[in-house]
Amino acid sequence: MIEAHGLSKHYGSRKAVDNVTFSVRPGMVTGFLGPNGAGKSTTMRMIVGLDRPTSGSVTVNGKPYSQHRAPLREVGVLLDAKAIHTGRSAVNHLLAVGATHGIGRKRVDEVIGLTGLDSVARKRVGGFSLGMGQRLGIAAALLGDPATLVLDEPVNGLDPEGVMWVRSLARHLAGEGRTIFLSSHLMSEMAQTADHIIVLGRGRVIADAPVAEIVALSGGKLVRVRTPDAARLAQLLASPELGTEVGVNPGADADEHDVLEVSGLGAARIGEIAASAGVVLHELTTVAGSLEEAYMTLTQDEVEYHAGGSQPAAEGAIR
Amino acid sequence: MSTTTAPAASRASSPGTLSQLTFGGILKSEWIKLASLRSTLWCYGLMIAITIGFGVLVALTLTDAPGGQPPVEVQQGTAVQVATLAIGFTALVSVVLGALVITGEYGTGMIRSTLTAVPTRLPALFGKVLVFGAVTFVVGLIAIVGTALVTAPLLPRIGITPDFADPGYLLALVGGAGYLALIGVLALAVGAILRHSAGAIAAALGLILVVPTILLILSAVLQADWLANVGAFLPDAAGSRMFSYSQDGLSVAPGLLLEPWQGLLVLLAWDAVLLLAAAVLLKRRDA
Repeated sequence: MIEAHGLSKHYGSRKAVDNVTFSVRPGMVTGFLGPNGAGKSTTMRMIVGLDRPTSGSVTVNGKPYSQHRAPLREVGVLLDAKAIHTGRSAVNHLLAVGATHGIGRKRVDEVIGLTGLDSVARKRVGGFSLGMGQRLGIAAALLGDPATLVLDEPVNGLDPEGVMWVRSLARHLAGEGRTIFLSSHLMSEMAQTADHIIVLGRGRVIADAPVAEIVALSGGKLVRVRTPDAARLAQLLASPELGTEVGVNPGADADEHDVLEVSGLGAARIGEIAASAGVVLHELTTVAGSLEEAYMTLTQDEVEYHAGGSQPAAEGAIR
Repeated sequence: MSTTTAPAASRASSPGTLSQLTFGGILKSEWIKLASLRSTLWCYGLMIAITIGFGVLVALTLTDAPGGQPPVEVQQGTAVQVATLAIGFTALVSVVLGALVITGEYGTGMIRSTLTAVPTRLPALFGKVLVFGAVTFVVGLIAIVGTALVTAPLLPRIGITPDFADPGYLLALVGGAGYLALIGVLALAVGAILRHSAGAIAAALGLILVVPTILLILSAVLQADWLANVGAFLPDAAGSRMFSYSQDGLSVAPGLLLEPWQGLLVLLAWDAVLLLAAAVLLKRRDA
């Protein structure tokens, strides 16, 4: 459980994090989304006490992070893959970090196995790929078998298998009742991993809701239809008797002339309409990636609000 | 890699219900960090090699003093000098290593891992100081005592027979190792304040090498003896008194001549003040 109350971090006149209040609950994966510079990393650093808040507070399991007797057992954190001395081997890095809490060889070997680092554990970290560094960072976060995990961009630099692995690890750990808080730039990834999403824009929380609600903000699900008779199907679906909520657009990829993206109508209903008219379908898929659109909509509004100039923006006033 | 199946084993074994953050654990962590870097091994190896090599070289090139066997005090003083002459160089190695022990963490980002594990921060700094200081002292002692033992058979040739049972002689050797440790800790404190390798090494070397020279020149030009006296309280001048044999009387520097224990106290005071500044900044600054 992570609770932030009125958390702010100012660098001079720039408000990196501006009066943010949220809580991250146990037993689920909470996604932390926002464009670059929105304040995600700063917020995460404040959670583990690396940055001191300008005002407000943040607690983990009821206490500030630094007041826990065994901090690494409360929170495992991956802030960036570069928080590791490049001259040291992976196993020595983990032994050194673990030693502070009396965590020994056995657990170090476990997290090395868990993160698939066995083959490179004795090599110096300086020669690691981004993905290997990321796996080592996750291994360090897991050392204390913590009840709460804070992962900043955990899939950054990972290969597809690694992305799958992080996704299943996060889901599995949440299933054990732990608190999982992870940020990502990959919105589609978040749709498949997170239960709840907090969107940060310009240092402020602009959305804090379950994934389904965030997706609903974008107007619901899309159905992707592939048919050699796209023009005729589009005509049928645009028929006024189906209601005005139905939207039919050509596929996102301009080369795919046989693809339609339909909103406001379920896949089953589209199939029935096509069958009754004798239109052949090659594909009928419900697309879950609309979270990305919701996110873009949310963050764009935020940017426009500040850039519009009609509002007396707080930042401008200070400068 | 079969990592996709791994999560099932994530909680296979708990690291022990009693494991928590302790100062003993921090010391062990800092020891692992120090021992697992190549730069540490290079610097300490260099320290031992330079000390023994230099001592042997000097012992071989010393010539007979005219007028037969010198007095015991001169014999002991010369023996101490042979064993500690290399400190002028090994102190620089200790300074570089001391600075790197902390600035290497800032340069690589490791400091964020360190301070996440030890969020109260100060125990991490003090643990680093204790481990680095103790290891440097032991390595320095091995180098200096080793040099004394290796050069002992070479000295009777010029009428010098070191008396190993002489407390003054032993104290000077131990003082040499203590100086190496404390001057390295001074650089560590400077590194913790500046958080940058090149800057910290330059600042520490400047304090040790450049400032005394400037004071010396100024005191000569201005005919100001008090400046030379101030110079005696600089880290290098004061600390160097720790490995002087009390009767050697060979110092040619103008100004005050501190007793070895006074030199120790002055250097300890430098370390304490700089560490205090480092501690205050470590508590205040974002990592």
